[in-house]
Amino acid sequence: MSGGNTSAPSGLITTLEKIVSVIVGISYNVLGFVALLVAWYFVSLITKGELPGPLATSVIFLELISDPFYDYGPNDKGIALQLLSSLIRVFTGFLLGSLIAIPVGLLMGANAFCRKVFYPVVQILKPVSPLAWFPIGLVAFQSASDATIFIIVITSLWPTLINTAFGVASIPDDHKNVSKAFGFSKWKYLSKVLIPYSLPHIITGLRLSIGVAWLVIVAGEMLSGGMGIGFFVWDSWNSLSLEKVISAILIIGLVGLLLDRVFAFVEKKVTYSI
Amino acid sequence: MSYLKIENMEIAFNSVKGKFVAVKDINLEVEKGQIISIIGHSGCGKSTIMNAIGGMVFPSKGNVVLKGKEIKGPGPDRGIVFQNYSLLPWLTVYQNIFQAVDAAVKNQSKEEKHGLSEKYLKMVNLWEHREKYPKQISGGMKQRVAIARAFAIDPEVLLLDEPFGALDALTKASLHIELLKLWNLTHRSKTIIMVTHDIEEAVFLSDRIVVMNNGPAATIREIEEVHLPRPRNKKDTVNLPEYKIIRERLLSLLVEKVALDEGEFYKEEQAA
Repeated sequence: MSGGNTSAPSGLITTLEKIVSVIVGISYNVLGFVALLVAWYFVSLITKGELPGPLATSVIFLELISDPFYDYGPNDKGIALQLLSSLIRVFTGFLLGSLIAIPVGLLMGANAFCRKVFYPVVQILKPVSPLAWFPIGLVAFQSASDATIFIIVITSLWPTLINTAFGVASIPDDHKNVSKAFGFSKWKYLSKVLIPYSLPHIITGLRLSIGVAWLVIVAGEMLSGGMGIGFFVWDSWNSLSLEKVISAILIIGLVGLLLDRVFAFVEKKVTYSI
Repeated sequence: MSYLKIENMEIAFNSVKGKFVAVKDINLEVEKGQIISIIGHSGCGKSTIMNAIGGMVFPSKGNVVLKGKEIKGPGPDRGIVFQNYSLLPWLTVYQNIFQAVDAAVKNQSKEEKHGLSEKYLKMVNLWEHREKYPKQISGGMKQRVAIARAFAIDPEVLLLDEPFGALDALTKASLHIELLKLWNLTHRSKTIIMVTHDIEEAVFLSDRIVVMNNGPAATIREIEEVHLPRPRNKKDTVNLPEYKIIRERLLSLLVEKVALDEGEFYKEEQAA
């Protein structure tokens, strides 16, 4: 305790150690990306430029992000506007999905009857590909955009639902006994035992769900067209610009990573340690 | 009529192999303000008896009657200290006590409930640690929180399930004093029923000690009366002749079984 605070040299050493470990961590990442770039470069060489190389792509990439907000009519918009449109759809779908998944998950976890009734249904619907739901969405909502949101709702709710149900079902008897022994009301049990215990599980579920939603949006927008990052990929392919496709892939990856980091951060915040 | 009465109680559980009888033929009468220990080997159904008084399990035969009323479930007239502290890890020390008080104590305002939480947390000398989480304090401190929590709801009966089992000897000794202090401060009006496998602990704290036979289908083997003078303290009490006599008696009751098994084993080997 006292060593770290009072003596300057040891404090300096720990700071230095931290800096070194950060540099080491970054250099691993850099090494990985260098390997990827080299591999990509050679594939581009072998295919004699059929697949654009890193250099050609980076020119287009910079061009894309230099004016991300331009708007030249319905079929020609900047990359940021496309992304924004996709993100709005993803969050709408994800939010609606979570609003269904969390209560149903709580119910399934807390009540054996509900678990037995709903579990087989979950098992059947969970492995269905998101695209298979698209026609159903079209019929139900008469709109390609709403149908895209629909497929995000229906595919992103499973991880949250299953994790929530698992979290609630695994509350230790010790915690239940405390609430029994001291006569906790239903509300107190919910707010002081059930929710705090299952919250880390729920957030993990949400983190998986947002990942799924982000996966699904690209496929969904390829089908629905009009607007969004998925549409952008398809549109770029139709105008034979693989550089744009690869740039979009990079951006999709980065945004996905960012979404995951945000939820990982929240996950860390709500996890209590015993 | 006695304060707490257990009559011809049997507790059985349904298991895969059929009915499993944990304890049977349990008859016990407890006076108000007594400290009773239930002692026996692991798996002799000590905790089962306590859970029946706590209203967590129900007798398959016979009944448990507290102040003339049969026990139908848990209630705020009985405070429980669990074996593994059972504090809620996401609540602070203070909140662990306050939430229990808030749920169990009726007809009092929030301020009065906060007052109670503060009073009992101060009684176990943990007021400075009130904002800490359970993981940040030691095992002994956790158990003091659990004891304070049980006392704070002002129950008539306190049920302690191997409360000091996981603690080192020194911490244990200081918590014994702590427990007796709280019992004194509440005018020795609370009845304490404690499950333990520690002979010294049982003799030092109790007025009566219930010795159990080994399970399954465990019964009460013997009930020892302890007439050591109160207030007791670690230095003088353990040197009293009666303390030693009772300790020896319990030791022979509990260790005899092991000795007998070894004898039988030896004979078999000779025969073979």
